[in-house]
Amino acid sequence: MSSNLPVLLFLVPFVMGVSMPLLTAKRRSWCPNLMLGTVGVMLLLSITNLRVVLAEGPIDYAFGGWAAPIGIAWLNDSIAAIVILTINVVSLISLIYGRVVVTTGLEKSVPYYTLILIMVSGLVGIIFAADLFNLFVFLEVAALAGYALVGAAGGKGLVYAFRYLLLGSFGASLYLLGLGHLYVATGTLNMADLAIRLPELLTSTAVASGLIYIFLGLSIKMALIPLHSWLPDAYENAPSSVTPLLASTVTKVALVAWVRIEYSLITPGVEVSHVPVLVLLEELGVLAALIGGSLALIQTDLKRMFAYGGISHIGLILIGVSLGNVTGFAGGMFYLINDAVMQAALFMIAGTVLHYHGAKTLEDLRGVGRQSPWLTGALIVVAVAMVGLPPTGGFFGKWNIILGALEAQHYLAVFAVVASTLLTLGYFLKIFSCWFHQPQFAESESLEVSGALRISLGAISVSIIALGLMSDSIFQFLLESVTSGGA
Amino acid sequence: MIQPHDSVIVRTLGHIVIPVAQLFGVYVLVFGQHGPGGGFVGGVVLAASMILSILIFGINAPNSVLARKMLHGDGLGLLIFAGVGGLCLIGGGQFLNYSHLQIPSLDEASQHYVGILLTQLGVAVDVAVTGVSIAVSLSFNEDEISLDEVTHG
Repeated sequence: MSSNLPVLLFLVPFVMGVSMPLLTAKRRSWCPNLMLGTVGVMLLLSITNLRVVLAEGPIDYAFGGWAAPIGIAWLNDSIAAIVILTINVVSLISLIYGRVVVTTGLEKSVPYYTLILIMVSGLVGIIFAADLFNLFVFLEVAALAGYALVGAAGGKGLVYAFRYLLLGSFGASLYLLGLGHLYVATGTLNMADLAIRLPELLTSTAVASGLIYIFLGLSIKMALIPLHSWLPDAYENAPSSVTPLLASTVTKVALVAWVRIEYSLITPGVEVSHVPVLVLLEELGVLAALIGGSLALIQTDLKRMFAYGGISHIGLILIGVSLGNVTGFAGGMFYLINDAVMQAALFMIAGTVLHYHGAKTLEDLRGVGRQSPWLTGALIVVAVAMVGLPPTGGFFGKWNIILGALEAQHYLAVFAVVASTLLTLGYFLKIFSCWFHQPQFAESESLEVSGALRISLGAISVSIIALGLMSDSIFQFLLESVTSGGA
Repeated sequence: MIQPHDSVIVRTLGHIVIPVAQLFGVYVLVFGQHGPGGGFVGGVVLAASMILSILIFGINAPNSVLARKMLHGDGLGLLIFAGVGGLCLIGGGQFLNYSHLQIPSLDEASQHYVGILLTQLGVAVDVAVTGVSIAVSLSFNEDEISLDEVTHG
């Protein structure tokens, strides 16, 4: 049975999502528990999956028993296993939080829970997919559910959900176009086959433009600057209960998809008509890190600020994976795992503040720190991680990206990482100066943070610190999986 | 809102064409293993026949009862598909590996035959439901459809 874990990880949320309306036809109140139970089962499955992959090495999963060139294949390797585990941990915590901080009206809506489960299953599919078309299908499964979730609360969110839909569909079309180019040039869409056939074809304009289309398409999905404009609006107006889930998974998984393509198809030092591809990608990352950080600094809305922070971190990860050496690559992937957890924590804090205090902008935050010790604790932990101070995972991720950049002698990348750290410090100082400010009004009654909210805030803070404490073993694990060629 | 069509020619032709279209849809679905066709095409033909009956007789007419029932079938096809895949998983094979399909008293050839037919049935149901849902949600408001009772008119 252990070889069937990938498909079980996909089927459990998908089938539960689809049968949710049937199962809860009589009792609507079962929905949240059913959803949490499903994600809990997924978490157990993904832990087992990681153990199996650690013990047996990468596993090719052939659907219907048909092996890769003919059939549909999934690749269950160590990177997939660890990213899936991260996504499941983050989803479970964000959904526990989402049960408490839910927009009125949504908690009784069955489609809302169905959409969440289908989105999670789409994310699982993206990570396991070993051929480009399969990846496209799951990209759309996850994205369509994501668009609907952004607009789930109605109101202004609908406008931005529609905009997200337009841009996202445009990205998906670009991806499909690029995929067509590669298929015409090589006759295969399987990533392992492409990795064999593509390197000698990189001089061909069709292949180069195909890769560019694929990159542009995925850039829209991962909100890489300058294609990021949908993200802050969408996350600002999405229901607070799903923003942590969306922010921590959707863009990260699109980036993982790109990393898989980049890692297997673009070898270090490869040039397309005298343009070193990896250096170009790295410089796009530099731009994203710097511009994203600067834009975050000038925001006054808490959620928008965090959204731009996430955009700048996408740039950091892209720098790491595009340095062309294993240190940078493993550092980038480690930072990606951290970033998923940190983004969830940030949007959980922003959502709680909005839900209980009605505080949307920095000005409204005054005095919040005095009323809610749990929130303050979580904010301090996540701030330390975002800035990148030693006890947390953020530090080790950035540290290894810098080491990788020094190894590759790309000093611009070093500068970008350090500068984005300073920018992060800048916008967290802005937040803290309001957070601990003397309240505008007389001390109001202490905030009643409910038990489930405390559990989720505590769990996310603990996972941030745990990632830092276990950073060495996780990093070594990533390093080994990269050097053994299984990315 | 689409009004029922009152032309005798259209209504009479509808009575003739719709059953033929449905029969053809089922034929394409079942024949899919031996020639061109299969679940998706069969589902589209079935959906087209039901949309035709909605256009001619109206959504609330007795003739459109199948189309109305279809609207309840969201995800049913998917469950059939996942169920067949799940039976293969239980049998110890990969997802959709029909050699391991756990249906008693079938030899391997029939396992493949039944497995493919059932998954195609699932696909057909899903495609037909989606087609009818799109047509209905484009042409009617929710309160114009009496989903639970058949009105005679």
